[in-house]
Amino acid sequence: MLRIENLYKEFGNIKAVNNISFEVKRGQVFGLLGPNGAGKSTAISMISTLIEPTKGDIFFEGKSILKDSKPIRQRLGVVPQDIALYPTLTGYENLSFWGSVNGLKGQELKNRILEVSDIIGLNGRLNDRVDKYSGGMKRRLNIGAALLHKPELLIMDEPTVGIDPQSRNHILDTVLELNKQGMTIIYTSHYMEEVEYLCNELCIMDEGNIIASGTQQELVDLVKEKTQINLKLDKNDEEVINHLMEIKGVYEAKINENVINLFGSSTDVLLADIIAKVTENGWMIETIDVKKPNLESVFLHLTGKALRD
Amino acid sequence: MLSVIKLRLLRLRDEWMIFVFMTAMALGFTAIFGASFTTYKPTVYIVDEDKSYYSQALISELNTYKDFKFKEADIKAAEKDIEEGNVSMGLLIKEGFQRNVEEGLSISLGIMKIKDDTVILTLQEIVSGITMKMAGANRIADVTAAFIQSAKPDSDFEKIRSSSYDNVMDSWKYKNPIFVKATVAESGIQAGYDGLMHSMIGFTLFFSMYTMVFGIGTILYDKQHKTWERMLISPVSRTGILGGSMIVAYITGAVQMGVLILSGKYLIGIDWGNSMAGVLLVSAAFIFAVTSLGLMMTGFIKTQAQLGSIAPIVLTSTSMLGGCMWPLEIVNNKALLLLAELTPQKWAMQGIESIASSGMGFEAAILPSMVLTVMGITFFTIGAFSLNKQSI
Repeated sequence: MLRIENLYKEFGNIKAVNNISFEVKRGQVFGLLGPNGAGKSTAISMISTLIEPTKGDIFFEGKSILKDSKPIRQRLGVVPQDIALYPTLTGYENLSFWGSVNGLKGQELKNRILEVSDIIGLNGRLNDRVDKYSGGMKRRLNIGAALLHKPELLIMDEPTVGIDPQSRNHILDTVLELNKQGMTIIYTSHYMEEVEYLCNELCIMDEGNIIASGTQQELVDLVKEKTQINLKLDKNDEEVINHLMEIKGVYEAKINENVINLFGSSTDVLLADIIAKVTENGWMIETIDVKKPNLESVFLHLTGKALRD
Repeated sequence: MLSVIKLRLLRLRDEWMIFVFMTAMALGFTAIFGASFTTYKPTVYIVDEDKSYYSQALISELNTYKDFKFKEADIKAAEKDIEEGNVSMGLLIKEGFQRNVEEGLSISLGIMKIKDDTVILTLQEIVSGITMKMAGANRIADVTAAFIQSAKPDSDFEKIRSSSYDNVMDSWKYKNPIFVKATVAESGIQAGYDGLMHSMIGFTLFFSMYTMVFGIGTILYDKQHKTWERMLISPVSRTGILGGSMIVAYITGAVQMGVLILSGKYLIGIDWGNSMAGVLLVSAAFIFAVTSLGLMMTGFIKTQAQLGSIAPIVLTSTSMLGGCMWPLEIVNNKALLLLAELTPQKWAMQGIESIASSGMGFEAAILPSMVLTVMGITFFTIGAFSLNKQSI
């Protein structure tokens, strides 16, 4: 549906986006994960035709949007990172305006406003001014404004920034529901859990580059040797460490505040071997904690820094 | 574009106070300043050293001119007040004035002043006119008395002469020997200057500019609330967005100018001259130029707060340069006059004032309207370019 080819964007000497390429297939929830300043919003701005790339091209249904941006604009919905609404107008007036700029009018517009207000859970508050809304309600209206014309491709740029957990959950469920109805979604976030929860496929961005891409499993597999097991035994000494290092697949063991940290390549095999070794030596397990690799670990593994650094 | 127009009209709900405030300010200032200009009378001290029949006759004649306030004073008081700037000028009727009038000699009068200005020139013309009239009447009286005495030798020459003089002078009061009807092509401050009219036009232009500039400045509100970017990526074209915004700002400005023109006519009693079509044409071109000026300013700044700081500076300074606050005829500096040519206000003032004050017709509106349209196109092009430059 959407193909990004060797996209660059420079602002003076700053390379905001540096040669990124990826493809979004119809029906996917495609994630762009990365810390603030990674270049996600710049990439989104280029895809949504707001800014022009320095180099590269973007193809929507096989056609370059740089040559003709009209086809994508008619079929695209964008939820910007900032709340882009008129605070002194009511929720209804806002939806009415954003629907009309996207080509809706008359009864069709009215019907869609009611449908969308139902989706975003604001049907009882549409006649209130937006500046009277809570942060979560504004976020939901911000999403609603992008849904009115039933876009085929919905781009959501960090749509849950700064809101309460309840509104956040509502938004995440809405995204999944929209995707279930057939909408293709590009979702950018620096919240690893959101991307893990929503996305089938994703790119991890840092400093303008795509540092990894694929399905979640493919990305996690990049760091599977980093499986970590934290073990608290009734005995913690060098002898224990030496015995544990004999287990196949364990390549590092160390004691950290009375807890033994084991690093290995495969959780399932390791866990059985560890329990066997402990039993064999007559030690007692007080606690055991397995840390599976996730996207946070992937990012840490690839960049040496945490996602929210 | 219709959706953008509808939005802008909807948002006027938040800005109606500016509209009402600026309209009220224009009317208020017109009433205050217009009245001040109209009733202003320069004070002129008269120092009568001759203290004769003729000098008193001159003073009596001068007092019939209502554009000045004449006060008799002694020479010392006159010199002191003029030097201190309390009074702008004085008229010195030197000793021997009567003799010179009677004998047809050069008349001894002096003007006491610190600087030359147009008001002094006007006074000189008035005094010169009266003394010439007195000299002429005196000559007629001489000839008449001599003629009667030659026909009737026992008659009293002085009595006849005095009576003839009074009759001639008196006859000027009631009928002019020649009635001149003139059309003034170029209006100066002395000829055809109407303070109330000038104020009305000047303040109408000045205050309505704020509504126009802040009207198009709503784009900055959009930028600030990120709705501008959202609009730019919608299927509505940039022409549609800019066009819709311009149309509403234009309509708002036009409505305000219309209200001010009608209020001027019906509340303050302004006569807008012989060509309302000409006034409207200049106004239409002026609104386009100023709305485009607002668009250009919007293209170079980022927030409404910045516009709030910059607009008063730009609008007030260009209005001063363009002659909204005072007539350009009193400005002598060539650089200022050159700069005035570059302001929309100058051309709008020229166009409307030529029709409303100087009695000119529709033709007076053509050149100013053309210049304003060219200015508008230039401002619009620069503004649209700077707003569009960062987008696809």
